[in-house]
Amino acid sequence: MNTSFVLRAKERGYNKFLSTGESSSYIGGHPDATLERHSSFNFGPYQAGHRGFGRVRVFGDELFSGTGCGYNIHPHHNFIICAFVLQGQLTHVNTVGNIDQLNAGDYYAFSAGSGGKRCELSLKNEDANIIYVWMMPNQLLLPPSYSRSRFDAVAERNRLVTLVGNADGAVRVAQDVKISRLSSNIPMTLDYALSAKEHGVYVFAIEGEAFVNDTQLGRRDSTGIWAAERVSLRTGDQNADLLIIETAP
Amino acid sequence: MSVEPFKRWMCLGCGFLYDEALGSAEHGLAAGTRWADIPADWVCPDCGTPKRLFEMVEIPYAPGQPVRRLSA
Repeated sequence: MNTSFVLRAKERGYNKFLSTGESSSYIGGHPDATLERHSSFNFGPYQAGHRGFGRVRVFGDELFSGTGCGYNIHPHHNFIICAFVLQGQLTHVNTVGNIDQLNAGDYYAFSAGSGGKRCELSLKNEDANIIYVWMMPNQLLLPPSYSRSRFDAVAERNRLVTLVGNADGAVRVAQDVKISRLSSNIPMTLDYALSAKEHGVYVFAIEGEAFVNDTQLGRRDSTGIWAAERVSLRTGDQNADLLIIETAP
Repeated sequence: MSVEPFKRWMCLGCGFLYDEALGSAEHGLAAGTRWADIPADWVCPDCGTPKRLFEMVEIPYAPGQPVRRLSA
């Protein structure tokens, strides 16, 4: 779980679910919706790669296609589930009491704690691309909770912004994990300092190309790094969009 | 002979928690049932994830949890 790696986009796990047949009660949309999931870590039917990264167990790059596509309401406990909407619109319903609509840039953190259900749907007939990150909590059976916020890629261009974790303006979660984003349209070199030397950092290229130390990442490539106090992030002339997860081991 | 402490297992499909100390009476598992004694073909009662895709966790409970306690 805590060894460094480089994961190319095409090496990720891939599952495709239809809204008909055996998955019709789980997958929303009808009759022609498809849900595609690229997993960085083992999840569901994909069990051939990295088990996780530090406190993170799921990193799903998901595409909901077709009116009403997504996950019908289903149960959870304990996991802290974050969703980052990259494209389209996500309608999220949960048993904390929220009906929320999230557009590109919006994100949420749902802590299932002692028990909660959620529903994730793209109601319109346009593709929705969402990144789901699940992390272990630091305590079991916490009171369920939900928070949402927004990453404004224009206002926050060319600087590192912490979206989730212990930072001003970030959504707080009950875990020693920090999720940041860097969206740039100019060449940048940024020295990312980890807050503890035993922490690891996972960098996922949402768009564009970037160097993480000496490793070049293309679109949807990623790398996980341990045993480093600092990590160099370098972007080029073209637009680059990075999601950076720092986690306790 | 020392007695092995009770352990907790979490479903990686949904987060369902199985605590050996508590068992899961509603699913036919008496308090004290060890993970190793649950059949290999057992699946998560909430989401159907196979037993082999649970992870043993050493995460403490939140204050006031678990609500269900072992009877004296």
